[in-house]
Amino acid sequence: MSQRIHVIGLSHKTAGVDIRERFALAGFNPVAAGLTQEHGPITEAVVLSTCNRVECIVVGEPGADVAHIVHQIWAQTCNQPVELLTQHTYCLNGAAAVAHVFSVAASLDSMVVGEPQILGQLKAAYRSAVEAHATRVILNRLLHKAFSTAKRVRTETAIASSAVSISYAAVELARKIFADLSRHSALLIGAGEMAELAATHLLAAGVQRMAVVNRTFSRAEELAKRFGGQAYGFDALSQALREADIVITSTGSPSVILTASQMREIMRSRRQRPIFFIDIAVPRDIDPDANAIDNVYVYDIDDLNGVVEENRASRQQEAIKAQAIIDEEVQAFLQWMDELRLQPTIVALLDQGERIARKELRKSIRQLGPDPDPQVVAIMERLAHSICHKIYHAPITYLKRRTQEEGSAERFIHQARRMFNLDGETPPEDAHDDRKRSR
Amino acid sequence: MPAWTWFELTIALAYLAGAALYPLGLGLRQPLCKKAASLASALGFLLHTVDLAAAGLLQADVLQHGQFYISLFAWLCVLLFFVAWWRFKHDFLSLITAPLAVVLFTGSMVIHPATAIVPEHLSLLWFGLHVGAIFVALALLALAFGAGVGYVYLERKIKTKSKIPSALQEMPALDTLDRVNALAVSVGFPLYSISMLAGFVWAAFTWKRVLTGDPKEIVSLGIWVLYAVLFHQRLALGWRGRKPAKMAIAIFLLSLGSLVLINFLLPTHHSLRAF
Repeated sequence: MSQRIHVIGLSHKTAGVDIRERFALAGFNPVAAGLTQEHGPITEAVVLSTCNRVECIVVGEPGADVAHIVHQIWAQTCNQPVELLTQHTYCLNGAAAVAHVFSVAASLDSMVVGEPQILGQLKAAYRSAVEAHATRVILNRLLHKAFSTAKRVRTETAIASSAVSISYAAVELARKIFADLSRHSALLIGAGEMAELAATHLLAAGVQRMAVVNRTFSRAEELAKRFGGQAYGFDALSQALREADIVITSTGSPSVILTASQMREIMRSRRQRPIFFIDIAVPRDIDPDANAIDNVYVYDIDDLNGVVEENRASRQQEAIKAQAIIDEEVQAFLQWMDELRLQPTIVALLDQGERIARKELRKSIRQLGPDPDPQVVAIMERLAHSICHKIYHAPITYLKRRTQEEGSAERFIHQARRMFNLDGETPPEDAHDDRKRSR
Repeated sequence: MPAWTWFELTIALAYLAGAALYPLGLGLRQPLCKKAASLASALGFLLHTVDLAAAGLLQADVLQHGQFYISLFAWLCVLLFFVAWWRFKHDFLSLITAPLAVVLFTGSMVIHPATAIVPEHLSLLWFGLHVGAIFVALALLALAFGAGVGYVYLERKIKTKSKIPSALQEMPALDTLDRVNALAVSVGFPLYSISMLAGFVWAAFTWKRVLTGDPKEIVSLGIWVLYAVLFHQRLALGWRGRKPAKMAIAIFLLSLGSLVLINFLLPTHHSLRAF
C-alpha cells in the first residue's frame, strides 16, 4: 500500500452559507494545527478556504483514517461540533480526489462555471501551504498540474470567454466597442444598486473617469465623490452626454429621458464618436429607436439578460469539452503516481541485483590468485554489472507496464516485492533448506 | 524545376501555411497554431524580400515585368499587415492579408515572366512614384477592406444583440477596426493622389498628353473620386464607423476588379501581360 490523495471538504453544493461561515479555515496552518506531521498519518496538506468552499487536500499514509483526523482537527479549529461538520462534507480519494482538484482549479465546480477567481484563490492556498512546509512531492506535483490544467481549459475552451453577470456583460460589450477603456469616460445617470455595480465594474475595467447626473444634485455629488468623478445637474444632461462614451442609466422616470431625435442632435455635436448606453431602468430611459442611429449602441436590461443567458448556456457546452481535458490530465497524473509508487521497488530490485553481483564478483576475483590482472578485474566488474542490469530489465519493464493498468499497480508491486524478497521476510520454520540458505 | 521556382514555391507555401493556420488557430482556440501562422507569414515575408531584392538586382528589366508588380503588391500587403499588427497590437488582419498574399503571390508566379509591356524610355522618378505610391495605397486599401469587413460584421452583431461565435471572440474592437480605416484613408488617399498625379506627369513626358483615354485612367479617376469623397467625409465631416467601412470595402473591390479586369484582360498601356 502507498500514500493516497484525499479531499475532504464542503462547498456551495453541500452546505449553506451559514455552515460555510462556521467552518471557514481562513489563515489555517496545517503544520501548526498538527494536521501534518513528518512521520504522521497525514504528510502533506493544502487548505483552500473561500466563501463558496472549504477543502482540505491531503496526502495520507496507507491505512490511516484520514477523513476522521481531518474532521476532528477541522471541527476543533472552528470550535464546532464534529457531527455537524461530517453531515456536510464530502470525502474523495484517489482518482476522484485528483479529478476534483483539477475541476475546482478549472472552475468547473464553481457556482458560476468558468469564473476566474477560484484559480487565484487556489494558488494563494498553495503558496501559504508551501510557506508552512506542509507540501512535498505529491501535492507539489498535484497543484502544479491543477494550475496547468486550468490554463489548458481556459485557452482550449471558451469556458471563460463570455460574461455571465449583467455588469460583466456590459463591461465586455464596452470592450468590444471601444477596445481600450482607459481612453474613454463613463456617465452614470440616476442611481440604483445595479447601476452602481455596473459603474464600479467599469471603473475597475479601467474607464478614464466617471461623471454622475442625478435629479437630486446632492445625490449626484455624493456618488461623484465616491467614484472620483464630476457631478452634473439634470439640466446639464446634454453636455454630459457630449463628453461621455459609455452611459449607464437607471432613473425612475416614467417616460424616456432621451429620444432618438435628441440623440441624433447629440451625435452631430459629438462628431459621430461612438456612444454605448447601458439602460437598466424599467421603464426604459433611452428611446430604443436610438439604437438604429449610426455609432449609437443601446442595450436595455432584457438585452443584457439575453447575453448573459446565452453565455451561460454556451459555458455549459464548453464545460463538456473542459471535462475531457480534465479526464486526460487525471489519467496522466495517476500514471505518474503509479510510477512514483513503483520507484522504491525498482531501486530495491537493482540494489539487490548489484549486491549479489558484487558478492559473486569478490568470490571469482579471489580465485584469480593474490595479484589479479587489473584489466581482467575491470572486465569482470563490467560483466557482472551489465548482467545484473540486463536480467532486471525485463521484470522492471513488465512492472512499469502492468502498473499503468488501472487498479493493478498495488497487486503487481506487492507480488514483485515478494517474488524477489525485497522486504527481507524471514522464511518460515518449515521452509526448504535452500530457501533458508538464500537469506 | 529550376532552383528559383523552388524558392518561390517555398514563399507561396509559407504564405499558404500562414493563411491556413491562423483561422485554424482561431477556430480551435490554439494560441500555438496562431503563433505558427505568424511565423510562417514572417518566413514567407523574409524570403519574399530576398526574392524581390534579387529580382531587382539580377534582372535589369525588372520593371517591365507584370510579375514583379503583383509580387511587390503582395509583399506590401504583408508588410503593412506587420505594421498594423505592431501599431494596433492585433494580428486579426492576418485573416485578410495572408490569403491575399497567397493569391497575389501565386498569381505573380503564374504570369508569364517574359512579358515586356512597359516602354523602355521610362522617366524613372515619375514612373517609380506612380507605381510605388499606387501599390502602397492599394495595400492600405486591402487593410481597410479587411478591417471594414470585420467592422460591418461585428457592428451588425452588436446592433442586433446577437451572439458572437466563440472563434471570433478575440476580434478587435470596433474602435480598433475604425482606426485601421482612418489610417488607410488619411495615408492611402494622399498616396493614391500622388500616384495619379505622377502618372499624368509621366504621360505628359512620354506621350505629350496628360489624358490618353486609357480604360485604366478612366476607372482610376472614378475610384479617386470615391476615395476623395471618403477622405473628405471622414476628415471634414467626421464620418466614422459603418459608412467609411463600407465605402473602403467598395473602393478596394473596385480597385481589385480594375487590377484584374483591366490590367490583365483589356488592351491598355497599363497591361501587365502581353497580347
